[in-house]
Amino acid sequence: MASLGELERTLMDRLWAAPGPVSATELQQQLADRGLALTTVHTVLSRLEQKGFLVHDERRPRRFTPRATREAHAAELMHEVLGQAGDRQAALARFVGSVDAEDAAMLRALLAGGDGAGSDAAGAR
Amino acid sequence: MLPATALALGVLAALLAWPVPAALARARWPRRDPLAALVCWQAIGLAGGLSIIGALLVHGLAPWGHSLPEAWWHWVTWQPSTEPVRGDHWVAQTLAAVLAVELLGVLALSGVRTARTRRRHRALLELLVRPGESAAEETLLLDHPAPVAFCIPGARPLLVLSSGMVAELDGAQLDAVVAHERAHLREHHHLLLLPFVAWRAALPVLPAADRAHDGVRDLVEMRADDVALRSLSGPDPRRTLAVAIVAAAGGAGGQVPDGALAVTGGPVAVRVRRLLAPADPLPARARWAALSSAVALLFVPTLLLLLPAVV
Repeated sequence: MASLGELERTLMDRLWAAPGPVSATELQQQLADRGLALTTVHTVLSRLEQKGFLVHDERRPRRFTPRATREAHAAELMHEVLGQAGDRQAALARFVGSVDAEDAAMLRALLAGGDGAGSDAAGAR
Repeated sequence: MLPATALALGVLAALLAWPVPAALARARWPRRDPLAALVCWQAIGLAGGLSIIGALLVHGLAPWGHSLPEAWWHWVTWQPSTEPVRGDHWVAQTLAAVLAVELLGVLALSGVRTARTRRRHRALLELLVRPGESAAEETLLLDHPAPVAFCIPGARPLLVLSSGMVAELDGAQLDAVVAHERAHLREHHHLLLLPFVAWRAALPVLPAADRAHDGVRDLVEMRADDVALRSLSGPDPRRTLAVAIVAAAGGAGGQVPDGALAVTGGPVAVRVRRLLAPADPLPARARWAALSSAVALLFVPTLLLLLPAVV
């Protein structure tokens, strides 16, 4: 039995690959080799919709479309990681913040043994 | 009457609101012992909140008794005050209540908001990244050209490396990055930072809140560097980690953080310098002095609040 996260990824992959909106029945047929029950497909779809990854139209039966492309989601995540919103600082711990070109050059000079490399030891009490 | 206690607490609150954080932010010893300095910052934050709310409370409840526990009991059980109650007593009570509710409320709100952001990040990651693509089981590889590494703390922590980071660094440097992020997760650094993020939002007019936040933010990075070094092998782990830091800082598309960067390159340069040219660790005696000051800082307001007033 595949995990929910795995099913969510599989369904999203199908929806991203599809040329247009797809209904739950069509998804179930596409994944026939996995033997998913239609209720399972519906459960996963509604979870994805709750998380804001899907929208559905008003037809009968409902057809689902991804809210954004995979690339857009990746860009959204990276934008938040690279951005400096106050909440973000507490939400995740980034290895190092980015610096501007001038400071980047200064850091490379430090590595090369340039100015100031010894100042911490020298200036410490 | 409780005036001496209220006055002492007020003086302590004033010290903790301005000169003490300013001195600790300026001092150079914290980068030699980030852990002791982190303990000091936590004590300053807690003692500061305790003493300002305590000072207001002690003054506001003065007409009801000779010590705060006694006065508080008389007040909550609706007993008549033993001395006439003036307007400033009511003002102090109200301020104490407002401040307590604000500090705790903002902390709770910040915690909830942070948890929601983490949940969204985690959901996005689970959708975009298949687990098990890289060697370490909990490390996710995100397809993006910018060299970025981060971890999402919580019950199910996630450690994320971007493909740009993997392309930029060699194996030993990647190990250093992962060890640094693991140190954040293992020592729960996000919990040390959370109150300072919250209180900076709650007290935007107080420069100490800014200083304390920046101090703690930079110190947890130094602490994670120190912990990472212990688990790294190789000929020169300090240099390996420094190279990784410089590569990751310089290559993220020229984004500039909002924090004021000093001419010396700010906190990143401090991290690189202390890796390349480490200062001696703090002597044991100095470390104990720092830690016992932190404990004393918490004891003083607590005792002042609990002991009968000295008039």
